Amino acid sequence: MEPLFQFFNNLFPFISDWPEWLAHTVVGVVTVLLLFGFVALFALFAIWLERKISAHMQDRLGPMEVGGWHGWAQPIADAIKLLVKEDIIPAMADRTLFKLAPVIVFTAALAGFAVLPWSQDFIPADLNVGLLYILSVSSFAVIGLLMGGWASNNKWSLYGAMRAASQMISYEIPVALALLAVIMNAGTMSMRHLVIAQSGNILDWNVFNFFPLTAVAFFIYFVASLAEVNRTPFDLPEGESELVGGFHTEYSSMRFAFFFLGEYANMYIVSAIATTVFLGGWLAPFEALNFIPGPIWFVGKAMTLVFIQMWLRWTLPRLRVDQLMYTCWKVLTPFSFAIILLIGLWKVL
Amino acid sequence: MSEIMQEKETTLYLGPQHPGITGNMMIELKVTGDTVQRGTTHVGYLHRGFEKLMEERLWMQCFPIVCRICVPEPDPNEENLARAIEEIEGREVPERAQYIRTMVLELSRMATYLLWMGGQSGSAGLYTMPQWTVGDRDYIIDLFEELTGGRVYHMYIWAGGVRRDLPDGFKDRVRKVLDYLEERLTDYDRLLFENAVFLKRAQGVGIIDKEKAEEWGVVGPPLRGCGIARDVRKDEPYEVYDKLDWEVITHEGSDVYSRAMVRRKEFEQSISIVRQVLDKMPEGPVHNPGPNPLKWKVPAGEAYVRTESARGEFGYYVVSDGSLKPRRVHVRGPAYVHGVTLLEKMLKGMNIADVSFIMNSLGTCPPEIER
Repeated sequence: MEPLFQFFNNLFPFISDWPEWLAHTVVGVVTVLLLFGFVALFALFAIWLERKISAHMQDRLGPMEVGGWHGWAQPIADAIKLLVKEDIIPAMADRTLFKLAPVIVFTAALAGFAVLPWSQDFIPADLNVGLLYILSVSSFAVIGLLMGGWASNNKWSLYGAMRAASQMISYEIPVALALLAVIMNAGTMSMRHLVIAQSGNILDWNVFNFFPLTAVAFFIYFVASLAEVNRTPFDLPEGESELVGGFHTEYSSMRFAFFFLGEYANMYIVSAIATTVFLGGWLAPFEALNFIPGPIWFVGKAMTLVFIQMWLRWTLPRLRVDQLMYTCWKVLTPFSFAIILLIGLWKVL
Repeated sequence: MSEIMQEKETTLYLGPQHPGITGNMMIELKVTGDTVQRGTTHVGYLHRGFEKLMEERLWMQCFPIVCRICVPEPDPNEENLARAIEEIEGREVPERAQYIRTMVLELSRMATYLLWMGGQSGSAGLYTMPQWTVGDRDYIIDLFEELTGGRVYHMYIWAGGVRRDLPDGFKDRVRKVLDYLEERLTDYDRLLFENAVFLKRAQGVGIIDKEKAEEWGVVGPPLRGCGIARDVRKDEPYEVYDKLDWEVITHEGSDVYSRAMVRRKEFEQSISIVRQVLDKMPEGPVHNPGPNPLKWKVPAGEAYVRTESARGEFGYYVVSDGSLKPRRVHVRGPAYVHGVTLLEKMLKGMNIADVSFIMNSLGTCPPEIER
């Protein structure tokens, strides 16, 4: 967390006078709170955005009443409702696992935020294996989903959980391979250095590197990441017309909200990875726009990808299980292997 | 096979509380993994005993009952009962009333197809389509409200004609709605009927055996989706269908996609039929009045008449013993064949994800199974 420490030192010079243990603790706690606040705020905003986007696509208005302007306070009202609702645990459920599952899902999502590079200096932990770390912790969520589905003692939930597990584990492969294509070229797995390697203008971004090879890798990553976060057309784990609600059928009140929060946080994380690896992270597309601070570019690019995820959700039906597996193993995985091979050849030659 | 390789059979209860089911019924699925080994349908959650009920009602009181047999499309039922009574009585129907009836039947077909489009894409996980089609269906419902006073249940068609004439300027408003819906069809095509994922889901799925289809009693769009041109409107024309210019639409393939395309094209055809009806509609009375409804005795006799509804062929068998009340009214609807016997045959070897998808494509209406 050296760059982070530097960042806080520049902002508040008096920190350097404190003993090291105190400074590190304070900086760590403040960062965690900041990130948690961001996740909660982002989830609220994304829920509102999704409702508005879906409403406009469906010739509706969406929330209009709460808070005045376009129902901006609707997600807050929803969150309060979820907080005060009765928490129901089915009688035959495995109570320990049932309570633990949403915590694990949300923790996994929050842990991913640790290595996101918001700007040149503000990165909570600049690991030299940042990308590897974020891929590993995000697959941690599968355990939580499996736990939730199993502990609910409901067949539909178990089906949803099993589907989630098989889907997320399969799609991790094209995700990792697509990212590998870029890592091979950049020679680093640190999120910060990946972005720094792309400095320049828009054509220096990785997505335009080895054109069109990395662009295809970006496309593969984006499609596979939709499956990673269970969004349409890969929302089989919670497919309503098939599995009622999937793994979270039996959850209510705040436990359900944590699943929901984790889902939206994951949407942001996969978009942020795409931004970092392919779209130049915090960098402006043109040197002339450098006066706009990095975090705004970073969040803006990620939000654009989040918007595309929402857009797809309301215009595509869902695939069937066998078609889902076909897409992963027979389309995305071979193509990402081919891209790695081609980029490797290109570099050697 | 070793012990480990053998998959355990699980029982899943799809319904009656399940978002994927089209109404008040339940399907008990025996599955291994994602594959259905066999399925048993359980109906009886909405048994209202309408056929028996009608034996205790005056003839006129039967009309509010029959329109409730299938909620999304009340008009074919009303028309069917009215025509059966007219056949027993030998009562003439004025020509204008016949044209109005045809218009109401076709508008009701369009409203039902709009609901079906929503259900079909909703069961595939695309929730924009239901919002659009249910919203557009409202324009047709508004027309019905103006014409009949009721939005869902109309009780408009009765023995001897229709209840009242068209309001002033009604034809223009119908034309406006038709123009709008015709334009809207391109949106539907782009979102659903030409959607690559929908084609992937629908093509080659839920195939009905073409050789056996007629033997099993499959009717309506599922039969025409097998490439068999059978339509009561053509085979045994009623009202004014023989005076209009239209063709029976068929589509080869026998799968969910061909059934969808049959409905899609019939929707377009209904627009053209209603336009022709509006153009050709003569002036004149709309009702050939009978006796006081409280003293209305239908002469002894029996009749079996058929109507092509949006989901297939309806048949009404009405027996009168010359008294104030029907002796027996039997309703033969398409939903029992499609939703119980055919569905059970098709369930074997199906993926769980396809169950509600195929059920929607057959146009199952559980309230009608039990009546």
